[in-house]
Amino acid sequence: MIMSDHADPSVKERIKALEAKAKEAQRTIDELRARDALKTQFLSNVSHDLRTPLAAIITHAEILREGLLGELNPKQRDSVSGIVSGGQQLIDMVDEILTYVRSASDQVTLVRTEFDITRLVDQVRTLNQPLAAKKRLTIERRNGDDLPAVYADRDKVKHVLANLIGNAIKFTPDGGRVWIAFSRRGKDTEELVVEVGDNGRGIARDHYDLVFREFAQVDASPSRPHHGTGLGLAIARNLVELHSGTIWVESELGKGSRFFFTLPLNPPRD
Amino acid sequence: MPARILIVEDSPLVTDAFRVLFTAAGYDVDVAATVVEAIERGTSTPVDLMLLDLTLPDGSGLEILEALRQRGSLPRATLAMTGHRDSASRRACLEAGCADVLIKPVPIGELLRQIERHLA
Repeated sequence: MIMSDHADPSVKERIKALEAKAKEAQRTIDELRARDALKTQFLSNVSHDLRTPLAAIITHAEILREGLLGELNPKQRDSVSGIVSGGQQLIDMVDEILTYVRSASDQVTLVRTEFDITRLVDQVRTLNQPLAAKKRLTIERRNGDDLPAVYADRDKVKHVLANLIGNAIKFTPDGGRVWIAFSRRGKDTEELVVEVGDNGRGIARDHYDLVFREFAQVDASPSRPHHGTGLGLAIARNLVELHSGTIWVESELGKGSRFFFTLPLNPPRD
Repeated sequence: MPARILIVEDSPLVTDAFRVLFTAAGYDVDVAATVVEAIERGTSTPVDLMLLDLTLPDGSGLEILEALRQRGSLPRATLAMTGHRDSASRRACLEAGCADVLIKPVPIGELLRQIERHLA
């Protein structure tokens, strides 16, 4: 800080006081950052430690269900199948927390390759087909046959697509429609825009930002119809941003939502 | 003679589950919980297939492969097991000589099919 020798003593005092306050604020920020890092590490450790016993429970239950230790009667098999699917659901949630922790810290490195994004979309559609069929939903890919190859981390893009398509199915009533469409924007159309849309219940404008925030759910009440960690879209945002892309939503309550994310088509090669 | 599987895993909970599974499926089962133990077990008796956890208390599971290779005791196949989908660690496993990388918990049907395929 440069101060003139002729400055008013009261001004000098005030500047000193402000400097002290700024130092104090910086200390608080540093402390909060350190605490946040500790909490993240704790979340990561706990999640990892939860996985091991859960994996053992699922394997034991599967051994029983498959009759490897003797045939079960149908009621016993149903009950043991419940243990397997409950355990699986728990592991999926733990995995979501772990993925979030990794994507939010510096633990993720992108492994970029060239791949056909329309084929990836079709794969995710096929994986979600049984779930969609249960609700008599259609999942349509509207275009994309002429797109160039994308240079990105295939697993991470798949994660983002699976999350957006899974959400669309979850929040669209029976008999509804889910679609995926591509467009290009920017100078020389160097950015690919991927849209995942649905004609489901939609999101209020006030909640557009909230849905991408970690641990936030539009309906966070214990009686909410859709349970989850509330991390899915926060992870999707982190993974898209790692690719220097952006993610956003446009929606109308009662009419449906359209989620968009961008991927650079020609990023610098590794 | 039944094929011999060496389970390298530091959690007794998971080891127990696999021991029950592989014994019921008719395999001979041996277990090791550390890198040192796995190298010792893998060298003393020939192993047909090794199921390898990557994170062990005294090091990485991949060190075992290297040590067994140097001693001429590599199993016919090694299947790595990991808790998370990570393309970088998958690549490292395949480069180190693992036949495949499985994500825990592996559905038992798939696990038994994989083992059968690699032992054929």
